[in-house]
Amino acid sequence: MKRLWIYLLTISLFSCQEEVDLPLAIIEGIVPVIEGTWTDQNAYNEIRISLAQNYFDTTNRQIISDALVFIMIPGTEKRIRFSYRPESLSFRSVNPREVAKVGETYQLVVEWQDNIYSSKGLMLEAPTVDSLTYEFQEERFFREEGYYIKVYGKIPFKEDNNYRIRVIENDTLKNDRDDYLLFDDTFGLTFFEEGLELGYAFDPGDRVGLELYRMNRDMFDYLSQLVNLLFSDGGLFSPPPQNPDSNIKVERGDTEVLGFFLVSPVLRENIFIKVNK
Amino acid sequence: MRSQVRFFLGCLFSIIFLSAGNVSSQESGILSGEILDVSNSAALPGANIYWENDVSTGVVADLDGKFQIKSVSLPARLVVSYIGYEKSIRTINQNDFNKPIRFFLKPEEMSLDEIIIMERRPDEQVKNLETGKSTIPMETIRNIPALFGEVDLLRSLQLLPGVKSAGEGTTGLFVRGGSNDQNLIQIDGAPVYNASHFFGFFSVFNPDALDQVELYKGNMPASFGGRLSSLIDVSLKEGNNEQIHGEGGIGTISSRLTVNGPLFSDKSTFVVSARRTYADVFLKLSNDEDLQNNKLNFHDLSGKFSFVLGGKDKLTISTYQGSDFLGLDESFGLGWSNWVSSAQWNRNISDKAFFDLQAYHSKYNYRVEFDDPDNGFEWKNKLSETGVKGQWTLLRGESLQTYWGFHSQYYHFAPIELVPASNSKISPISTNPKNGLLNNLFAGMTVEISPKLSTEAGLRWGFYNQVGNGVDYIYSTAQPESSEDITDSIEYNSLENIKFYQGLEPRIAFRYLINEQFSIKTAYNRNFQYVQIASNSSAGLPIDRWILAGTYVPPIRADQVSVGLFHNFDENRWEFSVEGYYKDFRNIIDLKNGANVLFNDNVETEILAGNGWAYGAEFLLRKNIGKTTGWLAYTWSRTWRKIEGISEGQAYNPRYDRPNDVTMVLNHEFSPSWSAGLTFVYTSGQAVSFPIGTYVADNQVLPVYSDLRNEDRYPNYHRMDASVTWKNADKGRKWHGSWNFSIYNLYGRKNPFAYEFRTIYNDNIKYDQETDGPIVSSKHGIVMTYLFTYLPSITYNFKF
Repeated sequence: MKRLWIYLLTISLFSCQEEVDLPLAIIEGIVPVIEGTWTDQNAYNEIRISLAQNYFDTTNRQIISDALVFIMIPGTEKRIRFSYRPESLSFRSVNPREVAKVGETYQLVVEWQDNIYSSKGLMLEAPTVDSLTYEFQEERFFREEGYYIKVYGKIPFKEDNNYRIRVIENDTLKNDRDDYLLFDDTFGLTFFEEGLELGYAFDPGDRVGLELYRMNRDMFDYLSQLVNLLFSDGGLFSPPPQNPDSNIKVERGDTEVLGFFLVSPVLRENIFIKVNK
Repeated sequence: MRSQVRFFLGCLFSIIFLSAGNVSSQESGILSGEILDVSNSAALPGANIYWENDVSTGVVADLDGKFQIKSVSLPARLVVSYIGYEKSIRTINQNDFNKPIRFFLKPEEMSLDEIIIMERRPDEQVKNLETGKSTIPMETIRNIPALFGEVDLLRSLQLLPGVKSAGEGTTGLFVRGGSNDQNLIQIDGAPVYNASHFFGFFSVFNPDALDQVELYKGNMPASFGGRLSSLIDVSLKEGNNEQIHGEGGIGTISSRLTVNGPLFSDKSTFVVSARRTYADVFLKLSNDEDLQNNKLNFHDLSGKFSFVLGGKDKLTISTYQGSDFLGLDESFGLGWSNWVSSAQWNRNISDKAFFDLQAYHSKYNYRVEFDDPDNGFEWKNKLSETGVKGQWTLLRGESLQTYWGFHSQYYHFAPIELVPASNSKISPISTNPKNGLLNNLFAGMTVEISPKLSTEAGLRWGFYNQVGNGVDYIYSTAQPESSEDITDSIEYNSLENIKFYQGLEPRIAFRYLINEQFSIKTAYNRNFQYVQIASNSSAGLPIDRWILAGTYVPPIRADQVSVGLFHNFDENRWEFSVEGYYKDFRNIIDLKNGANVLFNDNVETEILAGNGWAYGAEFLLRKNIGKTTGWLAYTWSRTWRKIEGISEGQAYNPRYDRPNDVTMVLNHEFSPSWSAGLTFVYTSGQAVSFPIGTYVADNQVLPVYSDLRNEDRYPNYHRMDASVTWKNADKGRKWHGSWNFSIYNLYGRKNPFAYEFRTIYNDNIKYDQETDGPIVSSKHGIVMTYLFTYLPSITYNFKF
């Protein structure tokens, strides 16, 4: 559908584009950005904190390293401490063996200067991925010729069916706005059992990694809104642009906060596209 | 009657004319002939025939249009003139005396619309009771320079004060602070739910098929209702009852043909009209194989049939069907269509009592098809409105007119259905249907209290039921916030009441005549609206979701107060008016961030509701008579919304809030063959949100927006369009052809259509990694998209 909008609107026939300057307002005060990922695998677990900057600011993005960061389990005394790691420019768990466990609710707390930010998330059970297959497909409308991967699995859940698949091709994360593979149960979930085809044409010799996340609805909505924003052209057919609704709250202080706290299991699978298949 | 008047005037003119000179006698022969109307060969009794160099020898055509005139020394120029027709002059030689000669006179280039204007009381705008009402004669609309040469009714209405457009090229109307779905657009009394083609760039109205259009920006009569902001009342032409005529045009992107004439007898007439685009024909000529297989077209078909039944009754049947289709490579298709039909019975009970009964049905549907072995589907939806309206009108002398009646409307919004293809792995989707029944009683009267003071008062009382069959959901929260809060659902049978609303809609207007050329008017009106579009984009899309008032979505309401000064001068050649208004909106809706309404059976969970207000002043200077006609309009206006959950709950401007708006429309007739049109538009830029910064999240560089909505503005919009029309006056007796050359955006102003805030690589806004090499630089930039600079077009129009 997105390609449709590009196509229609005469725009392809009668429009022109050029780079322009516009007077833009600037950010008043500071706006921290928190990217929290808390999963059942330590390699993924980190909290990144940075500051938003003015639109035309060409200086390096400011990374916050002096915050107090921990994850707690509400109703218990348990606190999982995080410390800043310069090599990753993020906060990582002090104890690498501490990971998210299914059924537990986690609360991220970030204390920086006089401000406190927090967010909660429930660790959900992961679905099952049975197998990955690939098959050569001829060129069709909306897609190129190449090897297409199908994911077979089971999603037995009646609630919290909010998923994302990330695709890593030859160690490079596919990260364009077209690469957000988000799905819920709006169109049913039988396609997952019958084989969910990824929309990428791979070449022989490609090593492909897949990461499947199951997340809470507020996080799913955040990513959906983020994608909408990436596709917003500011035109008449787009809704008014807004920041994605963050699931992080300001507990103390008067600054805004941007970003997200993702609590999710991660299923990682790899497949190699053989030349002779 | 008209021919009798002409005959009388012709005789009178001839008597005066002939009495002014001496009658001369010359016995060199008698020239005989006949004077006829070129359009229908009707005789023109009373036409004047005289020699140019000897006016005193003139004669008058008899009742059959025949004449005899004594010759003068030949060759000589014979002049034939007749009121309402162009003068004809022909050089007469001796050979012309051998047989009767025929003169076919051409009606003066004065369309029916111009006649209407002239028949309209010149001081109409001063003396009538109407405020906030505008009309543009169809002939004026045809002369306005048009995008792609496509004369467009709705785009022409955008040139009136108080009417805004959504943006470049689009036909959506935003009237006095109202949104696009608050306009009641109707064809012969039946509503049109999507009045646009090609995603809003053209409207559904074929200009050749239209008789007239009236725009009510406020204070619409009590016999109309159901929308808050305007009534755009479009009438299709009726056929003539004498002989077949036609008109049409061959344009840059479409062609059209309208034929009208008597049907069976002179008591019944027909008009049929068709228009179709041929963009897909050009696509086939493309070298790009992908484009060759695409389809892109729209068409309109309309017909109107009128039957005079005895001396007191008239039956009229109208229908309009139009559709769009966009097809990509046989795999993807998007189509939508309107089908609107109405039947009207008018009865003259007596000279002072009339009854009008109307029944109509309007259907809108769209369909999206994706032909794919794995993910194919068909997604379709339709909505319809069926109505019956009866009205009695009673005239009691000059000073009192009354009317009353009923209007019943049934809305049916069918389920949105997504049906997967046979092997598709996606699941089917179907929402529940929504139905509404709206019964209105209305009454009104116009009273001349004194020669200076008149009033028009009306009351409309609406009784609305959301009815089954359907499902209503029960939520655990007071206001539905999420489908997860649903605790129960109730199923309703057909026509079973789900939710009831009623509302009184008073309308009252006063006119005080200060003097014969100066009046002051004031009006108040209230309107309820029970259907609306759940969308937060500014331009309408064919797949927009219409919703009905129901348990969680109350009807929207608007109250408007207006006051105006109306002045005519220079013997009513010029009209000047200034109108001010204040409008209050209640229960208007917007959508939550990231709302999904298309496949949602719980749309109420995606909606935010609040209030709004708008105010403004509209100035209009207009000239309707003479070789130069047109108007100059200036509107200053503001529009505000205040909805909890948007813009931190503070008041904000919707995108179409454009405080300053200047329009100029000029038409000038240089000669019978040449005429020209010029329009100029200047408006404040659209209210929008620009980013104030950037941040990184999830490996994306994202713009940061203020929590306050639409604090920024596009640059001011301005544009000039021009057209020249050349008519070949001598091209046949019955065939009248004309060429229209127009240029949209004459001076090539780059008005922004959209701004993209994105990272620009290697200083190339079209950077492509595959073709442009590695990235060596990147920056945050702004890329402006603009449309239609110097867009010329040519159209050939004809009449026969």
